[in-house]
Amino acid sequence: MENVIELRGVSKALKAFTIDNMDLQIKQGFVTGFIGANGAGKSTTMKLIMNLLQPDNGEVSVFGLDYASHEKEIKDRIGFVYDSNIFYESLNLKDISRIVAPAYKRWNHQQFKAYVNQFELPLNKPIKKFSKGMQMKASIAIALSHDAELIIMDEPTAGLDPTSRRELLDIFQEVMVDGKRTILFSTHITSDLDRIADYIVLIDEGKILFDKPIYELQEQYALVKGSTELLDPDTEAYFIKIDRSPNGFQALTKDATKVKEVFGNHVVIEEASLEEIMFYMKGADSHYD
Amino acid sequence: MKNIVEFKNVTKCFKDFSLENINLQIKQGYVTGFVGANGAGKSTTMKLMMNLLQADTGEVKIFGMDYAGNEKEIKERMGFVYDSNVFYESLNLKDIRRIIAPAYKNWDDKTFYNYIKIFELPLNKAIKTFSKGMQMKASLAMALSHDAEFIMMDEPTAGLDPVFRRELLDILQEIMEDGRRTLFFSTHITSDLERIADYITFIQKGKILFNDSMQNVQDRYALVKGSIDLLNQDTEKLFIKTERSSYGFQALTNDAAEVKILLGDRVVVEEATLEDIMFYAKGAKHQNV
Amino acid sequence: MINLIRRDLIIQKFQLYLFIPCILFFIIFGSHLSAFFIIVFAGFFIPINAYSYDEKAETNILLNSLPYTRTQIIASRYIGAIFYMAVSIGITIVLFSLFNRAFTWTDIAIGAGITLAMFAFAFPLFYLLKPGYIGTAIVIGFILLVILSQPAITFLGEYLTPIVQFFASASTTILYLSSAGILIVLYAASWLISQMIYQRKAF
Repeated sequence: MENVIELRGVSKALKAFTIDNMDLQIKQGFVTGFIGANGAGKSTTMKLIMNLLQPDNGEVSVFGLDYASHEKEIKDRIGFVYDSNIFYESLNLKDISRIVAPAYKRWNHQQFKAYVNQFELPLNKPIKKFSKGMQMKASIAIALSHDAELIIMDEPTAGLDPTSRRELLDIFQEVMVDGKRTILFSTHITSDLDRIADYIVLIDEGKILFDKPIYELQEQYALVKGSTELLDPDTEAYFIKIDRSPNGFQALTKDATKVKEVFGNHVVIEEASLEEIMFYMKGADSHYD
Repeated sequence: MKNIVEFKNVTKCFKDFSLENINLQIKQGYVTGFVGANGAGKSTTMKLMMNLLQADTGEVKIFGMDYAGNEKEIKERMGFVYDSNVFYESLNLKDIRRIIAPAYKNWDDKTFYNYIKIFELPLNKAIKTFSKGMQMKASLAMALSHDAEFIMMDEPTAGLDPVFRRELLDILQEIMEDGRRTLFFSTHITSDLERIADYITFIQKGKILFNDSMQNVQDRYALVKGSIDLLNQDTEKLFIKTERSSYGFQALTNDAAEVKILLGDRVVVEEATLEDIMFYAKGAKHQNV
Repeated sequence: MINLIRRDLIIQKFQLYLFIPCILFFIIFGSHLSAFFIIVFAGFFIPINAYSYDEKAETNILLNSLPYTRTQIIASRYIGAIFYMAVSIGITIVLFSLFNRAFTWTDIAIGAGITLAMFAFAFPLFYLLKPGYIGTAIVIGFILLVILSQPAITFLGEYLTPIVQFFASASTTILYLSSAGILIVLYAASWLISQMIYQRKAF
């Protein structure tokens, strides 16, 4: 399996925040969901991938190429959606497409028009009159209209209502059908990831906590509930984080099979949602992954 | 059961959008979730509730009172959290307190400083340096410090990460405990509502489609799957919207009990999430819902 | 109401620190400027700056969500403007005396009058305009003033001689009283118009 994006030992120190020695691989042909708390480093990582920020140390390669000598070629093959409007506010979509189109070798105007129609976007209204959802759809239409192989999106579903979100996810799924494209997107709405993601990357305080196929998370991560008496230094080692209360404990494990073997019927094992995994991993040490 | 908010036949027309004949009751002591697509009229409804907009026709009553003549008393008892920052950006919380506090008779400094501590908010930093989550908490602290009986929140969880959202929902649950307060909030993240809402109000294209208890919504609505030959004029009446494919049909009903009686074992009836309901209701005719 | 007026002080903390040095600068280095001009500047500065903070839609949403009525919000603007103008001019007078800058009470009366008249024209216009357009409106207003002031004076000189003669022949007391009267009517009318506009405003 080929990696479209590869970060090797990347460090970046910003004023209030640092990424230290980050390794990350994004696989070609899959949808990778990027999750983490606000301020965990999602946007910074995406900016490093887009070369909007340069790493202090380490290597960023996209399509196996580095930015130093192949910047134009890389960007020609990337489509991006940021969480804020980056287009000239007073221009309408027609003018914006005129500005953006010549930048790409493979701009497909037919395709662009098809998305504009599908999203019911007006071509002649200035962007500043667009609602948040419409702005997002406009960015997505542009990102998908130059046959990009890699699509990077920073919270594309934020502020969209559930119906538009579902429509959008359907479009992403359509885009992925031919198997040569890759999508990396960050989101806070983890139910969207349950629907379309193949891989999940969790970041916390500038560190990648895990990078795993979603089925593995669903199968191996679980919430375990039981009596506190079951806990001792040996058994505690099976858990990422343990919450104790007078009624018993509740803990997250990354090895449900093992827990079943060890505790059998003494504990209740429930599926952990991505939200629960994030919640429990927040307080955990990063060496558990 | 007492209604905190009552809309009677409220109509408000704009150039490209109108709210028509809105009837709405919000029950005292409960959490009501407000859902609907972007542009369906959620913000307009909330602005009518705050008297930021005046209805063209119809009656808006809060705590059983009209705004005309009782504006100050009503607002004295209301708290608000908007989706954008309404506080002076360059001021810090200390200064904002000095502006807001004297406006309320019931303001309590002790409560305020207590919440600032619980929410871990800095008093001396300008609001513009706050994250979205911190701004939200600041608004909420203001609402709680004057002991508001009715708190209205416009997308308080938008843009917040799952861990933070859970923390916020816990706080909201706590402040509801004494049963005196009423909470009304809009959101696109319907899983949050499934966690804390008692009632759901659903608005679409300026009309209230339903305003019902969560329990009833979950009981009444269901996704129905079955073979196409089951569909005829009589059975189709049971469905709000029907999607046909070569494998069969999938439809949303608002009368699960009747579907079970009429179609019994010939169909599969699944629970519909709020998201499913919104998705299917989008293309449906109003009278059906 | 007092709370609303006090709010202007809190939001303008930093501008207030600038205010006194600014007036001092005019007094010390602006010896060619008339005392009248400095007074108009001083009186205008704080109230208009306070208004610029209220231009944003979000701020109006906040004010109207607090237990205030729209009538009160407008009233605080008009009363606050008089109050801050009086205080600013007071401070300026003290500074004038400290630095031995010559001025007459006529300067002050006319300065205050002109400032109030400017408020009377500016406020309803600002409430009428959409946020973001006020800067443009001020520029256009200034250009119009420059272009139209010359013809207007000529017009007044030619056709309104009787009125001019009346003013010329009237005693200073009558002159002051009638201008004060006109000013009060103007300010009150402006207040009413602003209130009508604001009452119907949607945020």
